[in-house]
Amino acid sequence: MVNTKLIKDLLNESACSHNKTKKSSCDKPKPGATSGGCAFEGAQISLFPYADAVHLVHGPDTCLGASWETRATLTSYQGENNTPLGYCTNVTTQDIIFGGDKKLASALAYIVEHKKPKAIFVYETCVTAMIGDNIDYTCKVASEQFGLPIVAVHAPGFVGSKNLGSRLAGEAVLDALIGTKEPETIHPYGINLIGDYNVTGDMWQYRPILERIGIHVVSTLSGDGRIEAIQQAHTAKLNVIVCAKSLVTLCRKMQERYGIPYVSVSFYGKRDTSNAIRSIVNAFGDADLSARAERIIAEEEAKLEERLAPYRLLLKGKKAILNTGGNKSWSIASALQDIGIEVVATSIQKATEEDIAIAKEYVPIVFKSPATEQPRLIDEHKVDILLAGGRSLYTAIKKRIAFVDVNQEKKVSYGAYGGLENLALDVCAALRNPVFKLVGTQAPWEAA
Amino acid sequence: MSTAFSLKEAKTNTLKPLHVNPLKLSQPMGATLAFLGIKNCMPLMHGAQGCASFTKVLFTRHFNDPIAIQTTAVNDISAVIDGGERGISEAIENITKKTTPDLVGLFTTGMTETKGDDIKGATLLLKEKQKIVYVHTPDFEGGLESGWSLSVQNIITQLVVPASKVKQEKALLVPNVNMSPIEVEKLKEAMEELGFDVFALPDLSDSLDGHLGVKQGSLSGGGILVRDIEALGDCGLVVTIGRSVRKCGELFLEKNAQTKHVHFDTLTGLEASDRFYAEILAYLGIQSVPNRVKRWRARLQDVLLDTHFVLGKSKVIIADEPDSAYAIAKALLEVGTSVKAFIAQRSEIQEEFTCEVCIGDFEEVEKSLPLSDMLISNFHGERLAHRYHKALLIRGFPNYEQVGVGLRNTILYEGSCTFLCEVNNLLVHHQASQ
Repeated sequence: MVNTKLIKDLLNESACSHNKTKKSSCDKPKPGATSGGCAFEGAQISLFPYADAVHLVHGPDTCLGASWETRATLTSYQGENNTPLGYCTNVTTQDIIFGGDKKLASALAYIVEHKKPKAIFVYETCVTAMIGDNIDYTCKVASEQFGLPIVAVHAPGFVGSKNLGSRLAGEAVLDALIGTKEPETIHPYGINLIGDYNVTGDMWQYRPILERIGIHVVSTLSGDGRIEAIQQAHTAKLNVIVCAKSLVTLCRKMQERYGIPYVSVSFYGKRDTSNAIRSIVNAFGDADLSARAERIIAEEEAKLEERLAPYRLLLKGKKAILNTGGNKSWSIASALQDIGIEVVATSIQKATEEDIAIAKEYVPIVFKSPATEQPRLIDEHKVDILLAGGRSLYTAIKKRIAFVDVNQEKKVSYGAYGGLENLALDVCAALRNPVFKLVGTQAPWEAA
Repeated sequence: MSTAFSLKEAKTNTLKPLHVNPLKLSQPMGATLAFLGIKNCMPLMHGAQGCASFTKVLFTRHFNDPIAIQTTAVNDISAVIDGGERGISEAIENITKKTTPDLVGLFTTGMTETKGDDIKGATLLLKEKQKIVYVHTPDFEGGLESGWSLSVQNIITQLVVPASKVKQEKALLVPNVNMSPIEVEKLKEAMEELGFDVFALPDLSDSLDGHLGVKQGSLSGGGILVRDIEALGDCGLVVTIGRSVRKCGELFLEKNAQTKHVHFDTLTGLEASDRFYAEILAYLGIQSVPNRVKRWRARLQDVLLDTHFVLGKSKVIIADEPDSAYAIAKALLEVGTSVKAFIAQRSEIQEEFTCEVCIGDFEEVEKSLPLSDMLISNFHGERLAHRYHKALLIRGFPNYEQVGVGLRNTILYEGSCTFLCEVNNLLVHHQASQ
């Protein structure tokens, strides 16, 4: 069942800086003035990338029916990839009256028989939380009967935001999986990658580089992840949080329980990628490892500069405004600067205190209300390109400047060194495209 | 391309304890779309914030346009101690701070129905502040079609002012949820050509048709006006399209017993298009149609003959909402195609299919796919079609892969022509590339 004490603790996470100022992104959502996903979605985002596990949603259809196969989280798993598949108990009126436990038990049996997964995650939803299904018990019995981990994830939508759901998912993994299997050998430079879901293959941009340096990835939560690996996560020497504050509690608890320290990094842009590699390597305090890292960073940066050279010519002197949320408000700004674009301003409307502080280091102007400030800033600074969510498209058309949608589900990776080239390509394509000026022209019957 | 599907397993219901790769979408999502077909409306979903968020993301990606929606954001505390009215009134207060909606469409979700909130009471308490239509749409019952239909039924019951006189030439169209914005527009034009003054409820033809608008996303950008809905009572004719909305027409007659209700299960294919014109002309008491209509009928006759060579030897699997699956199946059966249909939810229309039909998910679709030539389904079918090397036509919700989904027309003589040609060409292209 829902653990209210745990939720309270998670919302007051001591490792979150904003809890000192009390103006937090973990507040209760306001009716009629809320956007963004619920706790269930957060849990789903955090765990669905485990492709070798089946993800069973215990609830009515909305929770899963509208959300399966939506995120391009890639995997190299050779068996049946369960990430883009949707499993749902489809709770109906009958189940709400008589209870959904029996249906859940039969669904688990069906999955074990037909799919033979490495584990099953069972997601509680609002309705099954309210009718009081004993999901923990059903999962425990089934787990013993079938001899595989069946993990109940208690993050029904109404307990809070997406961020909280990610935290609750992390707790479920910590309690039920981490430390349940011992590896044959323990690697001296073993790390866990926490919070990168390998969307469009972001993780694959930098993981091979880390491995070339001599770092071993013990497990991931959860991009291209495996159940067996996360069970051995306690044997890693370092936790690496990638662009995600939601799993900081998990890392703090692993530090307390297993003595694993953690670092927080971002792999957007050249500078941040190189710094991320340095943070990881330096944590081990091994001179040889650090020297090897510096050599490989220098190699990669040189290769990248060569590839970026033609784009730099096109992008020289171009000015941009960025309007997005969370860590993207500074990480994409940093990446844009790395390809030679001047970032005039970035929106901090949907950023946390920490993000705002970092954003100010990268960008001279930060603004709070895009609707009014964006058009003014575009005029004042003669901006060439607006990078924002689809809602701002009309602003760009009206100002007849280029537009890149950075909030939509990305099709290609912008991560690490390789991704920077993709970003440069997209920005150049937008700047070159005549469509933004054409669409903004007047109709013949409007001409004065 | 050989023998037809066996009818042996026809109308079997799957008794699996779960859905694997669900086909079904929920009632609140249908309600959302219905309210987006009313101008300056704010759909307000009464549930946890995720229900509205998932819905917004799905329709935004499907239509490639901003979607207006808000949520009462029920949390763990208000889920237990609030009977609904507090969260709803707070939501209305916050919505009206920033915008001035002509209407708020308030509808429930599984959670708020499980706790049994009194949304009618909440609506009455807020009557002076904001015009609201309330609808019960738990997601553990029905699906996309019923959520849309229930919303239209309640809009009619709660807003339309009763009347006793009719204007012979004033007509109301009630499309089903599967009809694209451009199909609603084409149907309105077909009626206007015959001299009608036409209203569509809901009217997605100028809200989600993908036009470039100035103010994006705070409220619905187009659709039927609330004052036009209130004044619908004197319609001489109400036309419902799709079995899921037939009840809307029947309910309308309670507002005005003089109104005539004409119902069509589908408008795709020659028979269906002929029936449409036959009924409408009979109502008007005239015999002639514009030349344009005559030419398109003749073109459809030709298309039927041109496509029957390929389509008559093909086996097609349809997985969609019931009304849409029925319309597609019926049109393909006219040219001798062998069809098997999977539908997302139970529906009266199930009895009308003259081919094999069952309620199912994509796991069931996958089992039938090896024996077919083509899959017609939403974008979730893409992975299956690739794996089994089958031709694919994407129809239904959601479609994240393609653009222009709001501009696709498959109704009446003209739309039937483009539809049949598209299926034919996809099959031929697919065979050639094998």
